[in-house]
Amino acid sequence: MMKNGEIIENQRLKGDYFKVRFYAPQICETARAGQFVHVRITPRGDRILRRPFSIYNCENDALEVVYKVVGGGTKELSELSPGNVCNLLGPLGVSFSDPLPGVIPVLVAGGYGAAATYLLTKQVSQRGIFLIGARSKSDVLLTDEYQKEKYEVRVATDDGSEGHCGFVTDLVAQLLKEKPDEKFFFYGCGPHPMLMALAKLLRANRQKGELSIDHLMCCGIGACFACVVKVKADTLPGWTFARACVDGPVFNLDSVYVE
Amino acid sequence: MADLTCNLGKITLKNPVMTASGTFGYGYEYNQYYDISQLGAVVVKGICLAPSPGNPTPRVAEVSGGMLNAIGLQGPGVDAFLHGEHYLPFLRSVNATVFVNIWGKTVEEYGEVAARLDAESSGIAALEINISCPNVKAGGVAFGTNLKLAHEVVSLVRSRTNLPIITKLSPNVTCIADFARAVVDAGSDMVSLINTIPGLSIDIETRKCRIANRTGGLSGPALKPIAVRMVNEVARAVSIPIIGMGGIMTGEDAIEFFLAGASAIAVGTANFVDPYAAPKVIASIDAYLDRHRIRSIAEIVGKLEQ
Repeated sequence: MMKNGEIIENQRLKGDYFKVRFYAPQICETARAGQFVHVRITPRGDRILRRPFSIYNCENDALEVVYKVVGGGTKELSELSPGNVCNLLGPLGVSFSDPLPGVIPVLVAGGYGAAATYLLTKQVSQRGIFLIGARSKSDVLLTDEYQKEKYEVRVATDDGSEGHCGFVTDLVAQLLKEKPDEKFFFYGCGPHPMLMALAKLLRANRQKGELSIDHLMCCGIGACFACVVKVKADTLPGWTFARACVDGPVFNLDSVYVE
Repeated sequence: MADLTCNLGKITLKNPVMTASGTFGYGYEYNQYYDISQLGAVVVKGICLAPSPGNPTPRVAEVSGGMLNAIGLQGPGVDAFLHGEHYLPFLRSVNATVFVNIWGKTVEEYGEVAARLDAESSGIAALEINISCPNVKAGGVAFGTNLKLAHEVVSLVRSRTNLPIITKLSPNVTCIADFARAVVDAGSDMVSLINTIPGLSIDIETRKCRIANRTGGLSGPALKPIAVRMVNEVARAVSIPIIGMGGIMTGEDAIEFFLAGASAIAVGTANFVDPYAAPKVIASIDAYLDRHRIRSIAEIVGKLEQ
């Protein structure tokens, strides 16, 4: 659905990371973890395209998005104040599925990919583990929020400024080694190389899960074929392009094509 | 309420607003937002003989007042289009007026696709020929930038179908009116213009092209003045109906194209910004006509004052 969402709050979390809350009761009603909202930041002007954001949280009719200022559009968003209105299209895309009873959800995030998995903590009854990898301490996000939801939190940074010095996939490997008999279901969201490394590792260990994969998006509703990602297919090269916006962004680990 | 009926030779449309090929998928996606049968026509994403994977990613880049795209004509191929549930059978089921955009890698492929569609043409109102793609047999020269090749493609399609033919002209030529004359001579019933204009956008941090294909077609409002100018040039050169497009975001934009000489218009990139863009353009054209006490759209076509 398309709705205008008034900004209730738009605040800096740390560094270039922000959280914006829109008043969007209808979108909140049906939003599920892993889905996204496609935001038109300015009604007029130079930048005409929408920006897709994972839905971080839905609470009291407010839809929350955690974003990083990476370019002109997100900079403009960061400068908006309560009372300003953005046009919202959503909730869009395929959501994460619930883990089976007795299975522990493991959320694996790269940087602000942490924003895409948080709603699972509200949606899923069992408590799980949140693993986050980031470049540096200043890019480690939302760990308190996951802790508040009684998730076990483990951190890795590339430079060792917080937690394990290394990649988030190291944390996954360690977890599998620690608890070889536990039944896990993995949920991944982060930069493409991280997701591909995660897919390889999980497959090698016969684990199940889902990954949220996207690409530069345009229409958000399946018409333009801009945001395609490779999925396994019965074709000569072994893959086909699927649209992240409607066939994803959440893809089952089994269907992800790793080059 | 003005009369929005639009006569394009043998075809009569409910209104003069259609969708630009490649910006509206196969209609299925947008029908979840509104009833697409209310559009003058749904022009589907380009169809060729075999399934086509399209280009590597990234495929789009936003630029000032528009975007570049190099999707690479990803598509299901003519068989899946004719029989797949989300394609032509779906469009028939919702009574949409359908124009099928076709393309090929060789002249022969265009003829073959046209023939295949002609053989099962129930629910197809017209074919639109995309002549802006490269001819693989002639070193990748676009059919639409060579008068002889453009004529050849349209003549062959003409010989393989009785459906009305629209030729979508490439703006990447010195004199677009010459191409309009050539395709009319080859039997095209209408022309549509303009297609996108190749552009290049560079990431200055990585010093790389922002699109994997290097260049991409520029679309969006940045394109509109060029498109309006070209529609006017073609309108002065030929007397067949013209479908104008290029950066139309609003009803007011559409009116400019009518005044320049277009009998109908297509909404393209605006569909990406607002899924309801096309019906909004229809409503706004209607309001303009009422405001100016104009009874039908035909009254303003080509009425640019000298």
